[in-house]
Amino acid sequence: MPSIKLSSSDGEVFSVEVEIAKQSNTIKTMLEDLGMDEEDDEAVPLPNVNAAILKRVIQWCTYHKDDPPPPEDDENKEKRTDDISSWDADFLKVDQGTLFELILAANYLDIKGLLDVTCKTVANMIKGKSPEEIRKTFNIKNDFTQAEEDQVRRENEWCEEK
Amino acid sequence: MNNHNHGGNYNGYAYSRAKSEPDVDLNYQSMIVTNCIDIPTTSTPEEGHINKKLPKELLLRIFSFLDVVALCRCAQVSKYWNMLALDGSNWQRVDLFNFQVAIEGRIVEHIAHRCGGFLKSLGLCGCKHVTDAALVTSRHLGQYCVRLANLNLESCIEITNQSLISIGTGCPHLIHLNISWCVNITDEGLHSIGQGCKDLAHVLAKGCTNVTDEGIEKLSRGCKNLQLINLRNCRITDVAIEHISTYCRQLKTLCVSGCSQLTDATLVRLGEGCHDLKTLEVAECTHFTDNGFQALARNCHNLERMDLEECNQITDATLAQLAMQCPMLSQISLSHCELITDEGIRHLGSGPCATENLSVLELDNCPLITDASLDHLNACQGLKRIELYDCQLITRAGIRRLKVS
Repeated sequence: MPSIKLSSSDGEVFSVEVEIAKQSNTIKTMLEDLGMDEEDDEAVPLPNVNAAILKRVIQWCTYHKDDPPPPEDDENKEKRTDDISSWDADFLKVDQGTLFELILAANYLDIKGLLDVTCKTVANMIKGKSPEEIRKTFNIKNDFTQAEEDQVRRENEWCEEK
Repeated sequence: MNNHNHGGNYNGYAYSRAKSEPDVDLNYQSMIVTNCIDIPTTSTPEEGHINKKLPKELLLRIFSFLDVVALCRCAQVSKYWNMLALDGSNWQRVDLFNFQVAIEGRIVEHIAHRCGGFLKSLGLCGCKHVTDAALVTSRHLGQYCVRLANLNLESCIEITNQSLISIGTGCPHLIHLNISWCVNITDEGLHSIGQGCKDLAHVLAKGCTNVTDEGIEKLSRGCKNLQLINLRNCRITDVAIEHISTYCRQLKTLCVSGCSQLTDATLVRLGEGCHDLKTLEVAECTHFTDNGFQALARNCHNLERMDLEECNQITDATLAQLAMQCPMLSQISLSHCELITDEGIRHLGSGPCATENLSVLELDNCPLITDASLDHLNACQGLKRIELYDCQLITRAGIRRLKVS
């Protein structure tokens, strides 16, 4: 299996099978645009991803290397969040900081499958919670005045069961 | 490409897994107290960490996975989240069917006002408290929702022509409109749609009993791209169909079931004007005869699905014509067509549609049908469903033979 080297922001170098690394459209484009040879010894620099996160991303891509390409976003289709595989769910049992880093890395590396599943995981942390529970989950400060809070509640209470 | 730069600060925050925190209903004050006691715990993320870490477009991507209920709750979290939750990108397709009782006009106004520029699809099916005020006179829906392509007002019984005038004026890109059971709507409302919504492809106006031939004329004259028209139980006559077949040459689906005033002239005109017709539902059109269906079949060779339930004047002659002229026929209902005999079914079973396309045949309450009909259907390899309710001459043996073949 031909492989390439990826260099994290903090200088750690990972050797990865080309087919696994190419799940990242960013890396795929780099390889094509720069004409980087598979025999090339030079590592692809990834200045936006540190070693700890890159290691996890590679782990995810390795597990999913035989997946069919994810479908394009269909804006007419309702987006589901209950379709996360148990492997992914286990993989994403991480603290919020790591989860957000993974979202950023998936976005930067343009790995749609990983971006979707990480965003869905955060969406699931929001769903089913009251505004107060959401604030608590993410430690977000309520910066509404009492009057403002009353107003947004009135504007948005229609979706609650009476 | 989705490139995004962020100042990578990866240095050892330790957070608990938010998901595993118990869902205790604490108010905010007691939360803070708890944290004070727990210091220096690492169980709670740094304040606002998600907002600092993730840029707006990624937060919106997360929000794109949320339903209406979750979005409305996010809107109450903080000022920033209010802005994110009400971002129009989250509100392109809104279906309020599940909240129909609670939906009042001002909610629709609010959505239209905040999200109108993005709104492509709005479902208000069954929201019976929604009145014209929410949609009216190009101030709300009409003014803000220029991209609206799909509007479902089914059973919004308070809606009148005023709303349709607003939509006709303000929503030029409307493609799909459902005003079924909006009984207050009359010809004037349809006139406005005909003038303003030139791209309209689908219109459903079931049970709009105050619409007359004149309204249908105005609508079809203006909306020449109509491909689907459903006028079930409307009080229209052959004149309405004459206009439809004159102007809407691309019509593929027509339902006029329950329009009991229609006569063979309707079928003749459809045959002349709408050659692409694929689906025709004419249940309970009791004036239709073999003559009408002959004229139709001679010209509409693409017919695939036909509901002729209770067209009780038709005989085997109609089936002979359809079998000969319409090779694509796949579903046909002949229930309560009491004059149909085995001979008619023999035509269907030996026509060009039989071997490949015919998949559903409904013959409930066709009293003259016998086992011989089932034998005639031997060639129909694609037959998935046949209904024989109350066909008293059909025997178990006949059904068994059909199953085997």
